[in-house]
Amino acid sequence: MDTLRVLIVDDEDDFRETIVKRLKVRKVLAEGASSGIEALKVLETKDYDVIVLDVKMPKMDGIETLRHIKKLKPEIEVIMLTGHASVEFGIKGMQLGAFDYVMKPAPLNELLDTIIQAYNKKRGLPH
Amino acid sequence: MRVWETSHLLDTLPTGKNASEHVYDFADSQANLEKIQLHFKQLKTRLVLGLVLGFLLPNAFLSAYFHYQFAHTLKNNAKLNLEAVAESQKNSIEIYLQERIVNLNNLFHSKEFTLQPSSEVMKSYLHNLKRFDEAFVDIGFLDANGLEIGYAGPFSTFPDKSYNKETWYSGLISENKKYVVGDLSLGSGKSPRFTIATRQEFDGRIYIMKATLDPDKLYVFLRSINNGKSIDSMIINRQGQYQVVDLNMSPFQETSSFVPPYSSPSGVEEITGDNESMLVAYSWLTETPWALLTKQPVSVAQTGMYLSRLILTIGLIVISLIVSTVVYYTINKLVKNARQMAEKGQQLQEMLAHASKLASIGELAAGVAHEINNPLAIIMATSGVIRDMLNPEFELDHSSEAINTELTIIDNAATRAKGITKKLQDMGKSSSSCSIPCDINALLDDVLSRLKKNEFKSKTIEIVTQFSPLLPSIMAEAYPLRQVFGNIFINASDAISEQGTITVTTETFEGMVSVTINDTGKGIPPEDLKRIFNPFFTTKGGGKGTGLGLSIAASIVKYCSGTIKVNSILGVGSSFTVLLPYQ
Repeated sequence: MDTLRVLIVDDEDDFRETIVKRLKVRKVLAEGASSGIEALKVLETKDYDVIVLDVKMPKMDGIETLRHIKKLKPEIEVIMLTGHASVEFGIKGMQLGAFDYVMKPAPLNELLDTIIQAYNKKRGLPH
Repeated sequence: MRVWETSHLLDTLPTGKNASEHVYDFADSQANLEKIQLHFKQLKTRLVLGLVLGFLLPNAFLSAYFHYQFAHTLKNNAKLNLEAVAESQKNSIEIYLQERIVNLNNLFHSKEFTLQPSSEVMKSYLHNLKRFDEAFVDIGFLDANGLEIGYAGPFSTFPDKSYNKETWYSGLISENKKYVVGDLSLGSGKSPRFTIATRQEFDGRIYIMKATLDPDKLYVFLRSINNGKSIDSMIINRQGQYQVVDLNMSPFQETSSFVPPYSSPSGVEEITGDNESMLVAYSWLTETPWALLTKQPVSVAQTGMYLSRLILTIGLIVISLIVSTVVYYTINKLVKNARQMAEKGQQLQEMLAHASKLASIGELAAGVAHEINNPLAIIMATSGVIRDMLNPEFELDHSSEAINTELTIIDNAATRAKGITKKLQDMGKSSSSCSIPCDINALLDDVLSRLKKNEFKSKTIEIVTQFSPLLPSIMAEAYPLRQVFGNIFINASDAISEQGTITVTTETFEGMVSVTINDTGKGIPPEDLKRIFNPFFTTKGGGKGTGLGLSIAASIVKYCSGTIKVNSILGVGSSFTVLLPYQ
């Protein structure tokens, strides 16, 4: 299996860094971005297979960032991270082309499963 | 929680002058309803006043003007009519007199005429005249000296009776007239008569034929040519003595109060008497110094006008009443409808506010869930990291230091969650009593000095205080007020990127203590201005802001019966004003 490249976009430093750390030990090439703007900047120079995008972020929220990503690199699969009360943003994200949404706080395995499904889809494998 | 029962998210009516001002006020729906009612009451008064000024007053002015013109024209017509009657009657009288003079003059040329007529001849003359007109009373034949040569009539006569002292005689002889009409006199009889006389020359000598006539007959003739018009006619001489007058009046006892000027052949005047005004027209006879007068009371002359005026006045009043009533009821209905619509609008606003309140409760729940979920997610993820460390499969560093580092992250996340629940509890507590005197200047100084040591340290912020030395104390607890100002100061500091000024001003304003906090920060976008008091509304990312600070501040100020007002210009700065009552 090729190395899976994942970008975690969340303004919560502790959360983002912990997830990145846990994905890394699972042989996933994970990196973090603290805002939508930062994510778009990173995308100019780097490529990812899957992006995990928090919905609620200051300045540019997840939905807005998703729109930009889909314009910039439509082949990248995006997973939305939502709270219980903001499921509708997850659904909206899927309407805008996101692969799926995961509700916070989610066990890592659930997130990782979704990431792998998204990766399979990108590679044209059954998911 | 009590705080949310009276939601401060009621942005029902924006009270700011521009989009960048938002007053955090607690709208009183009853007061608004009263305002609406007062507004429509004033509107109705204005409309009714407009009806009176715009319709009724001009109507009244026009009617008055029309009445004046109508009366004037009608009076002129009455005057012209009366003058025409006088003129026509004068002509008839002149013809009447001329005919009788011709009758008299014809006697000179009759077969029986002789310069020495016998009494039979005279009687025959009188008979002939009376056959023509019963007005003839007697007849006399005089010589040039006025001596009566012959007489026939009901009165006794005497020899050598002379008329040379009579006015008519001198008129006939000295003024060389062909005929004269003399004024009324009693003569030899008891009833008054007037004289007509004519002259002829025979062999160079003058002879005079004179007759007297009954003025009452002439009056009857005058009445007969009046055709039943309500006009009184009479004849006066130059002195105003009545010559021919109503049968009931005694011509010798009364003179006319009106004597027309002899210089004007005819005319008409209005004479104001004791009881009523009269219109009097006159026309002077051509050969005789008599004037024919026609009289008519103004009231009679204007009878037609009074009736027309009455009909017109009633008509105008009725039309005005109908129009006014219709307009008044229309105004009433329109104003009532508009008021009801405005009141419904107000109710709708209140329903909207209520809906917004419900929505804000949902927003609160969502906010709480999100804010709590974030630290929970961190806790879950970090405990997973520890589990990974303990998993030999991953060959991670699982020294006690490494585990401790992860546990600290968990502690921090748990503390953050606790902070949120604590703040929510504080919001509930803000409804505690406001009953201890509190010096706002001292409180502000204290809050600012604490902030200078901590929050303001990382930036260059100049604090300018302009405190009123005479500021009265307010009844409030210090702790909640510290939170109010502390939160506003922290926001001001956050709005300033590196360096700036925060100016704090205190003063009294209409029974309130006013605290104004101006900052030179980045300002608040107009679309955010209405939401800044909403719980969990924040523009600070990365878990820095909970979005509860201003929400808590607003709850506390509201509890102390105060208001918070915010003005902001993007890129220039923001100004928060807290008003707290001290009375």
